[in-house]
Amino acid sequence: MVKKIGLMLFMSIFVLVLTACSNQKIERRPDDNMLYVGSVQTSFPTAFMPWLSRSGIAPTIAGMLYNTLFSYDEETGDFDPVIGKEWYYVDDDGEPIVTEEGAIDYDCLEEIYSDSSHEYLAVKIIIHDNITWSDGEPLTVDDIYYTFDIATNNLLSNHAGALAWTSDLRHKYTNGVMTKQGLFTYENGALEQGYDIAEEDKDTVIYMHVNKVLGSVMPLFTSVLILPEHIWEPVVTPENQLNSAEPTEETLYRYKNPVGSGQYVLDTQQSSSQQIILHRRDDYHLTKEDGSPLYNVERINYILYQEINVAIYALLKGHIDVLDTSVSSNYLRLFEKEDDIFISNAPGTFIQTLVLNVNPVSSERNAQRDLLRDKNFRKAIALAVNQDDLIENVLNGAGIKASSGLMRKSLVDFFNPNADSLPTDYETRIDLANEILDTIVPNKDSDGYRMLDGERISYNILGHPGEQDVISYLEIQFEKIGIDVNYAAKGAQPESTYLYTSRFDMTLQGVIFSISNVDIMYPAHFQTLGRTSNYGRLENENLNDKINEMRFTLNLNTKYNLIKEIQPMLADEYYKIPLYTSNIISVARTDRFTGYVVVEGATVLNDSTLQNLTKVESE
Amino acid sequence: MKKSYVIKRILYSVFVFAVVITLNFFIPRIGVEDPAERYYPPQGNMSEIEYEIIKQATREQYGFDVSPWQQYLNYLEGLTHGDLGMSFRSGSPAVADLIIDRLPWTLVLSVSTMLIGLIIGIMFGVIAAMKRGRWQDTVLLNASTIMIALPSFFIALILSFYLGFEYEIFPAYTDPNMVSNFEWTFASLRNVAQNAALPVLSMAVGSIIGYAQGTRNAVIAVTNEDFILTAKAKGLKQNTIRYKHILRNSMLPIVTSLGMSISGLIGGQVVIEQIFNWNGMGTLFLEANNMNDYPLMMGIMLLLSGFTILAILVTDLIYVLLDPRVTVGDKR
Repeated sequence: MVKKIGLMLFMSIFVLVLTACSNQKIERRPDDNMLYVGSVQTSFPTAFMPWLSRSGIAPTIAGMLYNTLFSYDEETGDFDPVIGKEWYYVDDDGEPIVTEEGAIDYDCLEEIYSDSSHEYLAVKIIIHDNITWSDGEPLTVDDIYYTFDIATNNLLSNHAGALAWTSDLRHKYTNGVMTKQGLFTYENGALEQGYDIAEEDKDTVIYMHVNKVLGSVMPLFTSVLILPEHIWEPVVTPENQLNSAEPTEETLYRYKNPVGSGQYVLDTQQSSSQQIILHRRDDYHLTKEDGSPLYNVERINYILYQEINVAIYALLKGHIDVLDTSVSSNYLRLFEKEDDIFISNAPGTFIQTLVLNVNPVSSERNAQRDLLRDKNFRKAIALAVNQDDLIENVLNGAGIKASSGLMRKSLVDFFNPNADSLPTDYETRIDLANEILDTIVPNKDSDGYRMLDGERISYNILGHPGEQDVISYLEIQFEKIGIDVNYAAKGAQPESTYLYTSRFDMTLQGVIFSISNVDIMYPAHFQTLGRTSNYGRLENENLNDKINEMRFTLNLNTKYNLIKEIQPMLADEYYKIPLYTSNIISVARTDRFTGYVVVEGATVLNDSTLQNLTKVESE
Repeated sequence: MKKSYVIKRILYSVFVFAVVITLNFFIPRIGVEDPAERYYPPQGNMSEIEYEIIKQATREQYGFDVSPWQQYLNYLEGLTHGDLGMSFRSGSPAVADLIIDRLPWTLVLSVSTMLIGLIIGIMFGVIAAMKRGRWQDTVLLNASTIMIALPSFFIALILSFYLGFEYEIFPAYTDPNMVSNFEWTFASLRNVAQNAALPVLSMAVGSIIGYAQGTRNAVIAVTNEDFILTAKAKGLKQNTIRYKHILRNSMLPIVTSLGMSISGLIGGQVVIEQIFNWNGMGTLFLEANNMNDYPLMMGIMLLLSGFTILAILVTDLIYVLLDPRVTVGDKR
């Protein structure tokens, strides 16, 4: 009996192996009109709650299925139309505050709103009149009112992100009761507020009251995905909130079958936890100038890969068209020798910095950390950083030097080149650094490292395992000034373990500053103490004043000038020392599609690429 | 088998499981001041009052607004009717549903690997033991040394590269349509078998060597026992000695390692599943970990612990069947 069972098992395995060996190849790119995109993630979302989490591919997919009011162009500083067509700051009568050329008249805005009787800024938004949801229903300002209204009402939407995005909107609820109205449409109190909306414009005009800072509109315009009222209103109740932890079956159905206003719709039949298939909407309201669809790619299939090497080989072997993940510069040589491969070596927007713990809480102070409180000591460390060397060795040349003002050079309206005041020649820098340190910590041990109270000056730099090479090169560079540094693992939750608690010497941190985020990021990085990104707890009153002035000015030109003034102040603190800006390297195949566009700060699969790609005609 | 022994073992297992449930709940929360903290959005320009409202909303959403003790009671209450809670991922799917979706696919890999490892491993082990000191034995010993040095993810990458990408004998990674298009048809089963081939092979190599070495050592040990000499002296047939006396008595260590590996069946192999894009429990656990999805992590850990306790219980009981002398804890 036992023998028989054994034989049966053996035979089943034998048959299984034979079956598996039958050479039936999987056709990896069967659809000619579909762009196959490899995405290296842990998982794909299978439910598409409109305000998805911000991790992984979820926000990308959400951004394709749903739309925000506007998109922001970092280069021009303009809000580009999406659902919204035009927007204005308006006066008390709802009249746009614009110059003769139609641009925002900031001088006039400042004049009208700078007095204390105005508690808010009023904004008028006109939306396109030809937008439909993917189920065919028209999109009107009622949907926009509904979206912002529910986002601010935590009785109906328990979505912390939405509450945060709308914190500058002066439309408030307390326990489900509206305490302040900040949204006005034809149907919702516009006339009573003094905003005269003509009946023919009732579906396309909405007014908002926002906090009196220029940055208020940014998250409202670009972060909040607009929801279809007719889909959500019938199911959302205080018992079944929009982001409920235990949604009803009906709500779950809506999560899994999204109705959006975006350029693509989800193929719910074919999508799974392993792939997400999107189809272009041919009735999308935005088109090219010639009336053809704005997006050239008809169908997109995002395929989940959980291992980067497998994804890279999948691309090389023609299983996918695009790899929507930035890859290490170490892979460049692998791609360069291949035909049919497009390499996007896009300038990055992310500045890698070395953060010094300049002001630890009293319980975490020690003699060596106290040295970091000395600005001259920090200056010596900044001088010892050789960005060229790091770019060459760590990034294999795929990067650029970062400004000490921590702003990208491409942001020409407010980049300040004067922030970089240190000498550029590295030998001179090291000499200068040693000169400074000789006055602070002149004693050295037999290995040439500087000593403090009989002990070698040695700091740990927190980093992830992938950042060990940067720290190793910093170790070499700082050896030239007699300072010892070593890698220390950041761990999974460095903020709560080390950074918020001041329990570190130095850490690596990536930063991105731009006009779209300085209102929030400058305070978070350089001003606010506590649980913020100001890990080293920098305190500088002049800097605080300047940041506040920048945040609260109502004149964009003044704001630009203040950002310019802040950059040398940041550089002069030697607190977040720039190391480099790495390029974003990504790859695509050109055997089926061409026309990939390289965009700063993005992988090859970006909005411009989707608009520009054309199929390669087979011979 | 003594009834009292069985009851005692079962009660002991139930007790261990209760302890596991408690530890499973509290360990992730130890030392965490505010478990909801990781889910708070950035404060941005919000005032403290506004931010506190948002934090409270977050705590409510994730069920952290009540005391840990109350959370524990809620959790226990859910368990009594099979409710492992709702995942924190988008759409809040039930943890039990997520596990049920993934478990069969992990079982496809792990059961195939175990069967292949067991059958081929025992076969190799017996051959090596019978041919002790000859080339068959040398090959097995050397292979064991090499395989111990090679991690399974390395084997998986090599197999994926050569047998998958280069020579295209098997799919280099799982067809993304495999799960969504699965039906109980021959074509679909063949598709699963094809896609499972490389991951199974990657895991089976180590498994075969493990079982082979275990079997070899056990068989050699038993062969040197006095009762085998007695059997030979009695003039029993060679095959009777081999299969009835040597092999049966060599099975105890094999059963132990089998019992241990059964508990690993449902856990999946994180790295192997990752490399081959296999939609199993290993990757589910990784997702849960990366997303700080407490309920999902607890659900998986609970299942793994429960299965391990069950496997140990069954192993202990089988032990007694195989060797009546084994009555651990049973005072005579």
